[in-house]
Amino acid sequence: MASIARKNLFEDIPRFIVAQAGIMFAVSLVTIQLGILDGFSRSTTRLIEQSDADLWVSSQEMLHLEVTLPIPLERLLQTRQVNGVERAEALISRSGVWLDSAGHIVPVKVWGFNPGGRLFGNWRMSQGSLSSLQEPYTFITDRSNLGALDLKQVSDVGKIVPLQAKLVGLSEDTQSMASSTSLFASLENANAFGGSGSGNLNCTIQAGQVECLSPLTRSTSPSSSEPPPPPRNLSLEDSISYVLVQAKPDQDLSELKKRLESALPNTRVHTKAEMVEITHTYWRKRTGVGFILGLGATVGVIVGMVVVSQILYSSVSDHIKEFGTLKAMGASDWVVYGVITEQALWMAVLGYVPSMALCLGLGAWTVATKGIVILITPGTAIAILGVTVIMCVGSALFAIQKVTHVDPAIVFKA
Amino acid sequence: MTASHINIANPVRALKRSAFTLPERTLSNLGVWERFDRKAIVARDVEMVFRSGTEPSLVLKGIDLDIPQGEIQLLMGPSGSGKTTLLSILAGILTPTAGSVCLLGQEITRMSKQQLSNFRLNNIGFIFQGFNLFPALTALENVEVALKVKGVRGTVARRDAHELLSQVGLEDRMNYLPRDLSGGQKQRVAIARALVGNPKLIMADEPTASLDSHSGHAVIELLRDLAKKGGRTVLIVTHDSRLIDVADRVAYLEDGILT
Repeated sequence: MASIARKNLFEDIPRFIVAQAGIMFAVSLVTIQLGILDGFSRSTTRLIEQSDADLWVSSQEMLHLEVTLPIPLERLLQTRQVNGVERAEALISRSGVWLDSAGHIVPVKVWGFNPGGRLFGNWRMSQGSLSSLQEPYTFITDRSNLGALDLKQVSDVGKIVPLQAKLVGLSEDTQSMASSTSLFASLENANAFGGSGSGNLNCTIQAGQVECLSPLTRSTSPSSSEPPPPPRNLSLEDSISYVLVQAKPDQDLSELKKRLESALPNTRVHTKAEMVEITHTYWRKRTGVGFILGLGATVGVIVGMVVVSQILYSSVSDHIKEFGTLKAMGASDWVVYGVITEQALWMAVLGYVPSMALCLGLGAWTVATKGIVILITPGTAIAILGVTVIMCVGSALFAIQKVTHVDPAIVFKA
Repeated sequence: MTASHINIANPVRALKRSAFTLPERTLSNLGVWERFDRKAIVARDVEMVFRSGTEPSLVLKGIDLDIPQGEIQLLMGPSGSGKTTLLSILAGILTPTAGSVCLLGQEITRMSKQQLSNFRLNNIGFIFQGFNLFPALTALENVEVALKVKGVRGTVARRDAHELLSQVGLEDRMNYLPRDLSGGQKQRVAIARALVGNPKLIMADEPTASLDSHSGHAVIELLRDLAKKGGRTVLIVTHDSRLIDVADRVAYLEDGILT
């Protein structure tokens, strides 16, 4: 059986291509905006999701994963005494400044954890291994950060001002799009890197080179041949950022959470899901990121609706006499609506498929070259198909309106 | 004034027809309403007012028209005389401002919009001056669409469309797009489409106006066959005097009045 909708659509190929290009643009815009929003949200919580901790102990003031006040290391020891705790490990989050070989500085976030532990650092390594972090002044970073740090390969050296730091491994999918460049180190190294942070530095620029002095080193000048002392072990006076907790098997997490909160003063305990939710909510709602990306997606939908409306309206106007003929012959309005709606659905599907392919390709390119994830999950893809269909069918309303009010007597006009 | 008694241009032909139809009526001894039932189209006191700005314009003025079943009725008149408006009303596409129209014994002026659609769907075939074919569909598909509207689908629709196009002599043009057909061929596709569902009434608006002489004759012959072999009533609005030869009756409309 002939499909009027399909034939009308392909009747004028150049116009069809222009229409599909407009729909592709709209669908791609929506997909990329949503993909970036999802990728952004996901990236902010990857470290939480990759950890095997059931519970996270933080200061009461914690805002989200990367913004919290320190808690004493003593809380780690206290946690281990609480009934129901299988394992507890410390996690340090410190800010620092990376100084590359060209003298450029890059803000970095240094995460310190126990490389021999089990609760953090369970990500995929593309090069090197976590055990290398036991060496003094070493770190690993996400593969996508090499360019930002002006590093070429594992074993390259730079400075986490003012200490020299050696890259010993590359991780995968560990960089948050919202945060500074993340570096991962052992607790001792991270404490040294963070403890010698820019706040305690005396930096000067000499002949275009940044020179800094810190309490741990006398000088950072290349002429200084004396290596810094190995970082010291953490003591009870030191502070950490989180205590990661693994519960014993069959342990009721809500009960354990209550026990921990009563045993650890001035702390709050969050489940893994709560940590994810707190961090997501912060970035999506308390910053403009969610709004801006959502606005972009909305603009995409509006652009798509305008394009599809124009095309369908124009197509219906071109064929108004034929539609009038159908009505004069006795076809119900629904037959005519069906033709227009089918045309809109064809436009939706034929615009969606290449758009999705384009966005998947673009996503693969951005993650490989920029480390920016455009996350298109099956759920997102289905949702965008739904949006595309609604967009196109909704746009058909204008054309339907025109056909509804067409005077059947038009058929007798030559 | 009833148009059924307007003289036909060919008086011999008219005489033959009278001689044929009169005894039948007499033998049947029909009463008024029974005779009424034999009419395919009956219009009584039809008026149509269009409002353009503040001034109402009376386009049709008390039209009475009787068209017996199986006959070809021409409706002629100058441009702007109201022919197309009257055709639209008789086809149930426009509702008159006053008066009544009965088609095949059913008063369509009392029908709802939905009932009118259904009536047209089941009883009327349309032929237009501009053909009104879907340009993106082949001849076969254009006929299939009409079948689809009437609920015939699949292989049955294809077979029926094939058959109808063969009836109008387009066996070898079925898969042509309208742009690849001549005017006469397009009109034959439109006629095949009008025949879908074997309607009892055919309403044609200037069916030969866009055609050359040869194509026009072919279409005229086709319309005569439709009426005579198919027993259909054909109402034709036209300026084409060639059609008078095939018509049973001719009505002239001028300034909204039948003469």
